[in-house]
Amino acid sequence: MAAATLVDHQRSRVDRRLFGMVFACFCIGQVALQAQDFKLFDRDVQIHGFASQGFVYTNDNNWLTMNTSQGSGAFTEFGVNVSTSITDRLRVGAQLYDRNLGQLGQYHPSLDWAVADYRFRGWLGFRGGKVKTTLGLYTDSQDLDFLHVFALLPQSIYPTDLRDATIAHLGGDVYGNLPLPRRLGDLSYTAYAGHRSDSIYSGYVYYLSSVGAQIKSYGGLQYGADLRWNTRLKGLLIGASRLNEDITAKGSAINPFNPGAGLVPYSEVSKADWTNQFYGEYAAGRLRIDSEYRRYWRNQSLFNNISESFADIRGWYVSGAYRICKRLQIGSYYSHYTITNVVTGAFAVFYPPATDTNLPANHDYDKVITGRVDLNKHWNMKIEGHFMNGYGSGPYPNGFYTQVNPRGFQPNTDALVLKTGINF
Amino acid sequence: MKCRNFFLVAAGLAIFVSGDSLADNVKVIANSSVKADAISAADLKRVFLEQRIALADGSRVQPVLEKGGPARAAFLEYLGISEDDLQTYYRTLVFTGKGSMPKELGSDAEVVAYVARTRGTIGYVSSAASVEGVKTLAIGVPSGSVERKLITRVEPDYPETLKRLNIGGTVRLRVSISAKGNVVNVELLGGNPILGESATIAVMKWLYAAGSSRTITEVSILFDEH
Repeated sequence: MAAATLVDHQRSRVDRRLFGMVFACFCIGQVALQAQDFKLFDRDVQIHGFASQGFVYTNDNNWLTMNTSQGSGAFTEFGVNVSTSITDRLRVGAQLYDRNLGQLGQYHPSLDWAVADYRFRGWLGFRGGKVKTTLGLYTDSQDLDFLHVFALLPQSIYPTDLRDATIAHLGGDVYGNLPLPRRLGDLSYTAYAGHRSDSIYSGYVYYLSSVGAQIKSYGGLQYGADLRWNTRLKGLLIGASRLNEDITAKGSAINPFNPGAGLVPYSEVSKADWTNQFYGEYAAGRLRIDSEYRRYWRNQSLFNNISESFADIRGWYVSGAYRICKRLQIGSYYSHYTITNVVTGAFAVFYPPATDTNLPANHDYDKVITGRVDLNKHWNMKIEGHFMNGYGSGPYPNGFYTQVNPRGFQPNTDALVLKTGINF
Repeated sequence: MKCRNFFLVAAGLAIFVSGDSLADNVKVIANSSVKADAISAADLKRVFLEQRIALADGSRVQPVLEKGGPARAAFLEYLGISEDDLQTYYRTLVFTGKGSMPKELGSDAEVVAYVARTRGTIGYVSSAASVEGVKTLAIGVPSGSVERKLITRVEPDYPETLKRLNIGGTVRLRVSISAKGNVVNVELLGGNPILGESATIAVMKWLYAAGSSRTITEVSILFDEH
């Protein structure tokens, strides 16, 4: 009875929040255009922002750290940025970002990016500061709901619970655009290096809490490059990205061999950590087709080097989106995720080898259909269905966490996602 | 062979993408600080996608758009990018910190006024708009980028009367070439009008190699009176 009351109360809160969000969308959508540009010291200053609110219902497993089997609206994100050009070559700007996704984010704001961007030529520019990482088609724009047809990007490549892993680095980029001879198109490149720092409210840190680890810091060196070719064939883009990381996690944990002895220092250190990603995009008229493949290999020493973990995570997807009319788009994708993991050393007794990707614990195959309605230029609504097989909850998570599924996982999950967002 | 007292000289190597469909609806304009008189279609697209910040001659450029209207629709159609894709593109730049939203103005007059007073700006206005105070850019491919190969050349007649009177000189023509390679239009840019007429008749019979689109080239023909 008490539980039912609690659920009703939560639903009521969710309903109020959704109504509030819709009302805010309407109001902001009406006034936003007047608010975005102004002059400061004779320079044009631009202010832009976005916000989105989602609601997720699943038929079984709880997903993305939310209590989705009861229906959850704990899916909110927003950001605001300001930017200006100091000279015709130098531009500066910053964006604040905040979100709440179930147990993640928890409304702790972060500096999403803050850059000084100096462009010598079209083919050579530098960005420094906190810079969004260029990795595949959408890593840098994965939070920006209004840019995408889908409410959730393919989770095999863009797991929203793990956004911190790839979203930005504190460092610098070298980038440029090179027109190719003989009308072969354009080549765009980005090379970068910097420090990645995950929030303690991020997905992997949350996962580690399920095995008794309390992480104080998680981050390290991140460097890589992206090369993309706008081909001669109109609308066709192909590219490849590479990311290397050297990550260290520090905190404390329950000693698994002597749980009653209290917390002991805990660390995880990368021995090899890289991502290769290949992608293509084709846009023709109202049709857009994307496909990407990512392989993420992580080899870490665990718990002060008494164990070692080898995880091989592979994902790919094919998506298509079609604009039926100015206000309405539909889309579908198939997202394929597999993980294998082997632990050696002292922890091997706790983690038997997980190498069979046919098992639901080691994969997540997600079929998705979606519809997006643009109510006006600044306000959109989406409805999306996910039909998932597997829960891929290995030692590197992918949407499904034991903390919110204490009774274990079911092999299949169907999800309904409703989302609305504004931008100006 | 004396070639009937004239030599044909192909000078003007600049070959221009036609942009006829664009020119019918839109003029591309630039601030007077922009040195170039022409810009290729590909570079125009790069400028408006903020991938290029300077032209080949070193002129710094930044794009200016009209907020809406038929000129914008024609311009984007010419660039081969839809309104929705352009908005998504700009917003991606803005919200990832990798670019800014270009200036958007409400009318031809506002665009012309802004371009006239703002160094390095490139914009577009409808073809009927007054463009006083700004320069109009031809849409083309700069010299040496792409050249349509001349396959069949017909030499022009040198009118006997003019030849006898030692009247000659160079005639400059702007030649429109279809994608198939036929000359579809010739415009006299300079030189003796009678020689120009003779040259026009000949050039209309020229045949170029097939290309991916309609192009315009400038041709100079010398009628040597000696």
